[in-house]
Amino acid sequence: MNLVLLLSPILIPVVGALVLMLLDAFQKEEGGLAMPTALIHFTAAAMALALWKHGLPADVSALHGYLTIDKVSLFLDATIALGGAIASLLAGGYLAEHKLDRGEYYPLITFSTAGAMMLVSASDVLMLFLGLETMSLGVYAMTGFRRGSPRSAEAAMKYFLLGSFAAALLLFGSALLYVLTGHTDYAGIASALHDAAAQTAADATAAAQQTTRARVGIFAMLLVLVSMAFKVGAVPFHMWTPDAYEGAPTSSMAYMSVVVKAAAFGAFARIMLAIFGDANSAGAAAGWPAALAWIAVATMTVGNLIALAQTSVKRMLAYSSIAHAGYLLLGLVAAPREEGGTTAYAAMLFYLLSYTVSNLGAVGALILAGRRGAESVSHDDLAGYARRHPAAGFALTLFLLSLTGIPPTVGFFSKFYVVRSALDAGFTTLAIIAMINSAISAYYYLGVLVKMYMRDPAPGAPLASPMRSGYVTAALIVSAFFVVWMGVMPERWLDLAREAVSPAAANAAAPTADNAGGSAPAAQH
Amino acid sequence: MILSLGHYLVLSTVIFSIGAAGFLARRNALIALMSIELMLNAVNLMLVAANRWQPLVQGEGGATTAPAPHGHVFVFFVIAVAAAEAAVGLAIVLSYYRLRKTVRTDAADMLRG
Repeated sequence: MNLVLLLSPILIPVVGALVLMLLDAFQKEEGGLAMPTALIHFTAAAMALALWKHGLPADVSALHGYLTIDKVSLFLDATIALGGAIASLLAGGYLAEHKLDRGEYYPLITFSTAGAMMLVSASDVLMLFLGLETMSLGVYAMTGFRRGSPRSAEAAMKYFLLGSFAAALLLFGSALLYVLTGHTDYAGIASALHDAAAQTAADATAAAQQTTRARVGIFAMLLVLVSMAFKVGAVPFHMWTPDAYEGAPTSSMAYMSVVVKAAAFGAFARIMLAIFGDANSAGAAAGWPAALAWIAVATMTVGNLIALAQTSVKRMLAYSSIAHAGYLLLGLVAAPREEGGTTAYAAMLFYLLSYTVSNLGAVGALILAGRRGAESVSHDDLAGYARRHPAAGFALTLFLLSLTGIPPTVGFFSKFYVVRSALDAGFTTLAIIAMINSAISAYYYLGVLVKMYMRDPAPGAPLASPMRSGYVTAALIVSAFFVVWMGVMPERWLDLAREAVSPAAANAAAPTADNAGGSAPAAQH
Repeated sequence: MILSLGHYLVLSTVIFSIGAAGFLARRNALIALMSIELMLNAVNLMLVAANRWQPLVQGEGGATTAPAPHGHVFVFFVIAVAAAEAAVGLAIVLSYYRLRKTVRTDAADMLRG
């Protein structure tokens, strides 16, 4: 029972998805599953919060090190569930408006959420792989959900091929780590790598063998790093991102851009910090933050510069999501460098929650602006939109300001915290590049506002007008509520993120790690 | 000649590299799918070989038992996931073929910029 309670944030979406499939099979007409899906997600979020509030049970050894349920994973579970709930509300409005409302969309989104939650809790390479595939398979299908559209099919094919390739790289890296250490759990791999690096070689053969093993360890680390960089959409592994986001139905894009990103960053941070975070772990493999810093610079700069040139708002948001992945990487780069790694890690968690609500709001406001047959996705479509429809225009304005990082919205504070943590960790140049990039990004976000408020549509051009949907309105209200609430009281939310990563919270996870590190070697040597 | 773990590791690395090279070089979506399957199966070979060569566990009174089957179990999961992945992948390629009458990835150029 204890175990069921502990796993309930993951189990609720799994059971919920099965119920949704039954509901879909037995209901007479299509549609109407958005509200149950949102409720399942909200319940999972509530369960994660309840576990957080009442404290985790001390004995989590039943998980055998496969999953780590700590406050970090609960924080991310709640973020993912909130993102999934808002995305399913958006789907309820979008799919109905564009005559795509087939019931299988909702079980897919719910299974993906379960996979995403597995991913952020995974502390074993097997669970990492399973969570990644559970999440990705659902998202591939959601990308290609508009079956009659060649663009949607093309987006799904590109995303599927590159995503599976990345998963195969991750698997090869995991297999190499297993060959080296005989363990699949993070704690066991980390301690075995540490012991191997600390050993003094007896003779020349042993020394050569040790060097080879260290090189294989670095290669395995690179494979894991590259495959996770693929999943978060970091340059130079970002090629799939704009295509998949643009071709996918907009509600799928909303889900992909926040939930997949949050889950991939959670898993990325956990595996890098758990296995390679220790400076002695695998010799030169501990140099990954420096490599990741270059990736972060490239990701921010390339994402922002290409976003400047876009004429489609949807594709611009795709490149902006690449740029945001760059800012998020700052937190991950800084985390191993500082004492305990708490502030940077907390800043990253805060950023993930902030980006979830801001980006869902922005994509939701874009969904609101597109009626059937007239999905307004280009900047020109939106000319004069805010003057004709002040409320809908204001919604898009609010979320774009949050993405830009203008106070009092939450976007300002999330950027401020990651840049500050990079400065504290001694990455001054990186922090300056991030600030310059933030200034560049203001140009294209504010360009949309200029179009909406100050330009008149070209004569004879189609006029964008908002669709009517209670689902989308509800989703926007929830997102706006969080954007403003977190923007007014950022310290309170940052404290929650700090509490999640603080060593006191890690104590709850310690039995898992001890169990994995303690019992597994005894069983194998 | 006695086969050692090293032989298996080299073989699986070679198979994995063939798969990766095929994925990167060929422009046919079905061949890309086959290359991914090849990569996954190379990993399977590496996992079972590594598990087979795990040291025996010394138990009470000098009795030895087989090592924990983590690698073998991993392989079962990989096989199941590969099947699910192939199902979704073939469905996606099929729906693309229906609309475009080709499975060449270099013809997939509607989304760009």
